[in-house]
Amino acid sequence: MSDLKLQHLEKVYDNNVKAVYDFNLDVHDGELIVLVGPSGCGKSTTLRMVAGLEDISSGKLIIDGRDVTQMPPKDRDIAMVFQNYALYGHMTVYENMAFSLMLRKENKNEIHQKVLAAAEILDLTSQLNKKPAQLSGGQRQRVAMGRAIVRTPKVFLFDEPLSNLDAKLRSSTRREILLLHKRLNATMLYVTHDQTEALTLADRIVCMSMGHVQQIGTPLELYDTPANLFVAGFIGLPPMNLFDVEIKDGKAVCTEFTTELTAQEKEMLAGYEGRTVTMGVRPENAVPGGDITVQVISNENLGQNTLVNGTVGKHKITCKFRDWCSYKYGDTVKVSFNKKHFFDKETTNAIRA
Amino acid sequence: MAENKEALIKKDRLRFTKNKMSSTLIILAIVVNALYFVSIYRTDVGTYYYNITIGASVLYNLIFMLVAFLTSEGVKNYKMSYSYVSIVLGILQIARIFYLPAEAHNTPNPMVGSENEMVMSGEQFTYVTVCLCLSAVLLVCAGIVGIMKTTTLNNYKAELEKKQ
Repeated sequence: MSDLKLQHLEKVYDNNVKAVYDFNLDVHDGELIVLVGPSGCGKSTTLRMVAGLEDISSGKLIIDGRDVTQMPPKDRDIAMVFQNYALYGHMTVYENMAFSLMLRKENKNEIHQKVLAAAEILDLTSQLNKKPAQLSGGQRQRVAMGRAIVRTPKVFLFDEPLSNLDAKLRSSTRREILLLHKRLNATMLYVTHDQTEALTLADRIVCMSMGHVQQIGTPLELYDTPANLFVAGFIGLPPMNLFDVEIKDGKAVCTEFTTELTAQEKEMLAGYEGRTVTMGVRPENAVPGGDITVQVISNENLGQNTLVNGTVGKHKITCKFRDWCSYKYGDTVKVSFNKKHFFDKETTNAIRA
Repeated sequence: MAENKEALIKKDRLRFTKNKMSSTLIILAIVVNALYFVSIYRTDVGTYYYNITIGASVLYNLIFMLVAFLTSEGVKNYKMSYSYVSIVLGILQIARIFYLPAEAHNTPNPMVGSENEMVMSGEQFTYVTVCLCLSAVLLVCAGIVGIMKTTTLNNYKAELEKKQ
């Protein structure tokens, strides 16, 4: 396995549409990086540039110290797993997995050993003589992964591999990918628009929007200290509640409520006295008890937690309470915020001390 | 020790790979047979071929090609019985030399009226004989390879079952 460097990578299409702007990333050996963002943010384009399926308009791509920017895909020593599996329907699982090695004219006995080893890892041994049509979606995706594993590439690329699976299968296959990563200690670049996948799988997440990298960090960093409003809104489910508040006399004042700032927050917002900033509160940080009145719209019991959707004046709010609650439409709940995030209204960047 | 391992892997491979060699040999035999079929009938021999044998010959060729194709699929999947069918088809190809081609080669051409001019010339007879012999060899080889591989695979599977 090896490291991967993306230096000032940019993609401009023939019609002058710029899909990726100045993308910089160092992926360390054995690291699993997840590119996350909404549709059209440039994450798949970036992955395809790494794979060699898209030309790199400017910038450098370095794999294991070797500049591969202009190299054709076959010489880059990477393997890609696609959303639609891209398996050969007329071949068996064994043949699908062995195919790339056969094209390379590797020794047949060695190919056999590699395929069996990969099948063992992916629990596909009993399926080797079946054709893709006889397999479930999860098994097909494992075959696609197996095909990547047998090549022992320097970098694994995953392009939304779980998008075609149902929720239950997605969860189990996600765990399998994670186990696979630990077992192979492989360098992986994984693209998804699903932030749950990003948070559960990644060593580090690259959050993208409109072709720009918004933030690179560990899942906890992105969740706990989002760099800007976009990351705050995109990472986390349900998303962060956002309110426009005025900083006044050590308090965040909104038309519907006023909340006290902690000493640390006061210090952080010293330069914003009298100005309006955006205050973000994660649903789990809105806790029962306090002086902010929430008018309940709906009550969603999730087993361990309850999501309470409501309004605070004209603002929508979602609270995630730990207990099983049974609020009804029109009920009122008093809440307070035990952790708040603040963002500059003009730049949308997080306000930090 | 390493050789044993290689041999074992080779055997194990049979579990997941098809017998493409036998299958390909049979397809080649069909192609060679087609070469025979399209070149056997001459147009300058009057009504020599105009009897029931031409119908039987055409029918046999069609049946041969169908059975040979099915056999190729059978041996591909290590079906022992199809390997025997392949050998039988090969033997029948040899037998065919003595039916239409040999007869035509020994009959004077009724259009010429000379004892030296045969319905099937020496050159044509050689060509069709080579075609039939070649397809026969291909079919017999395919059958033998099929029997060997299928036996190896069946024995190996039995060994594995015993171990379990």
